[in-house]
Amino acid sequence: MDSSGLDSSGLGVRRAVGFVAPALVLIGVFLVFPALWTLYIGITNYQLTGPAAANPRVVGLDNVVNAVRDPLFTNSVWLTALFVLGSAVIGQNVLGFGLAWLLRTVRPVLRRTVEGLVLLSWILPGTVVAYLWFAVLSRDTGTLGMLLGSPRTAWLVQYPMTSLIIFNVWRGTAFSMLLYTSALAAVPPSQLETARLAGASGWQTVRDVVFPHIRGHVLTNTLLISLWTANDFTPFLLTAGGPNHRSEVLPVLIYRQALESGQLGYASAMSMLLLVGNLVIALVYLRLLRRRA
Amino acid sequence: MRRIWGVAAWFCGILFFLPVAWMVLTSLHSESDAATNPPSLAAPLTFDGYAEFFDAGAWPPLINSFSASIGSTIIVLLLAIPAAYALSIKPVEKWTDVLFFFLSTKMMPVVAALLPIYLIAQFAGMLDNISFLTLLYCSMNLPIAVWLMRSFLSEVPREILEAASIDGAGLITILRRIVAPVAMPGIAATALICFIFSWNELLFARVLTGVVAGTAPVYLTGFVTSQGLFLAKVCAAAVVVSLPVLIAGFAAQDKLVQGLSLGAVK
Repeated sequence: MDSSGLDSSGLGVRRAVGFVAPALVLIGVFLVFPALWTLYIGITNYQLTGPAAANPRVVGLDNVVNAVRDPLFTNSVWLTALFVLGSAVIGQNVLGFGLAWLLRTVRPVLRRTVEGLVLLSWILPGTVVAYLWFAVLSRDTGTLGMLLGSPRTAWLVQYPMTSLIIFNVWRGTAFSMLLYTSALAAVPPSQLETARLAGASGWQTVRDVVFPHIRGHVLTNTLLISLWTANDFTPFLLTAGGPNHRSEVLPVLIYRQALESGQLGYASAMSMLLLVGNLVIALVYLRLLRRRA
Repeated sequence: MRRIWGVAAWFCGILFFLPVAWMVLTSLHSESDAATNPPSLAAPLTFDGYAEFFDAGAWPPLINSFSASIGSTIIVLLLAIPAAYALSIKPVEKWTDVLFFFLSTKMMPVVAALLPIYLIAQFAGMLDNISFLTLLYCSMNLPIAVWLMRSFLSEVPREILEAASIDGAGLITILRRIVAPVAMPGIAATALICFIFSWNELLFARVLTGVVAGTAPVYLTGFVTSQGLFLAKVCAAAVVVSLPVLIAGFAAQDKLVQGLSLGAVK
């Protein structure tokens, strides 16, 4: 290796930096700069209309203080926590692992088919799946109500959060399933065989033999699906936050505050808080991951 | 025991498939048959819903979606492959920090970037412009593309690279003869994932586009609102809008699986 920094592949530092720079510039313009701008708007009283639209004033942390005192915001935080915990951390995780574990033993053809069917719900456009669920769950014409013999139950109105959680489990389980399928392939079969011969139950096998091998996968998966769920905007298409804010998760609240109420500064401050929430989730995850090493 | 698992697997698969089956079946019914509840399996099939959807002016938004998704996927690959290659070779110390920076931008709630990006588009005079949306999708997919590609490129054995370099092979030869064959499946998987994400994106498309540059998902939301009572027609529209990602997804189911699990874990 000489002074120009040539490495094993003859790439060199200068060319390496040149390779990475264009991607960094694009991300800087479209992701980092907007994020910083949001931070700035969050400390102003910027509004869509009215006097504050022309001349926004810096109000410091007033927006944050107001948000924390705002019952709509705290309500939203709880709903988001419920949504993440119920549909991602528990729902998608458990069902995804269950499916991966189940499909391990079945015939390859069947396995591929079921994987494909589950994958379907993950790759379809959000607009399409939201419409499908809306049609299946709506009051008078909904197929589910008809099949259950309760045509008068408006699922999205009477049980908005439960519907959203079940929807999101259906929507997102494919990712966990695929990730756990590849994780399970890395567990040595000999250890599973030993566990079976020792008479271990299914649960004991999972806990004592499988889990230690896939701990890293479980954590990575939980982090990713938690972040995706916390930032997911699809609930807006299903319930638009209603009825009466009962399913207003944070991204929906922020969208409505910004575009329906025109409180741009306030909405940006709430985005900031959501970002902080994401960072906290990520830090907890890194902590847990490090403990493994 | 094996049989029970097989039945359970089928049951789960069908449960996930039910809403989609309902959509496809209803889209092939006439409006009067589509209105029956639960949908009838015996009703005659027709393509009327599809014909009406295309007659209603569905082509421009579909073309918009294609240009934004394919265009952004090509640009993402052009930018992500060199970046991921440089990052996987690691000629600079602290390279992992750059990698984490890439990944950390994925933690940002997209709704938080909505307003500034709207203002940028307005400032640049590019509201309702498909090129702006294409560039935006590029930057949104770049972090995940770099991350995925890097994990695929780390599979290239370092010793072979060194041996080729000692034998006097230049950068282009190394990339073409050694790296490309190993990385091809990864490139395909990354491209498909980027295509699917861009095609499905709704939030930005909804806010940044209007009549000219509206994408297929935006058009579909409008179609649901205006034609919601005509179930067959709306279902046909939903099937058409889903078709490109379904084809992309199933063309590469295995690669998708491999790509996702590799990229997420390593």
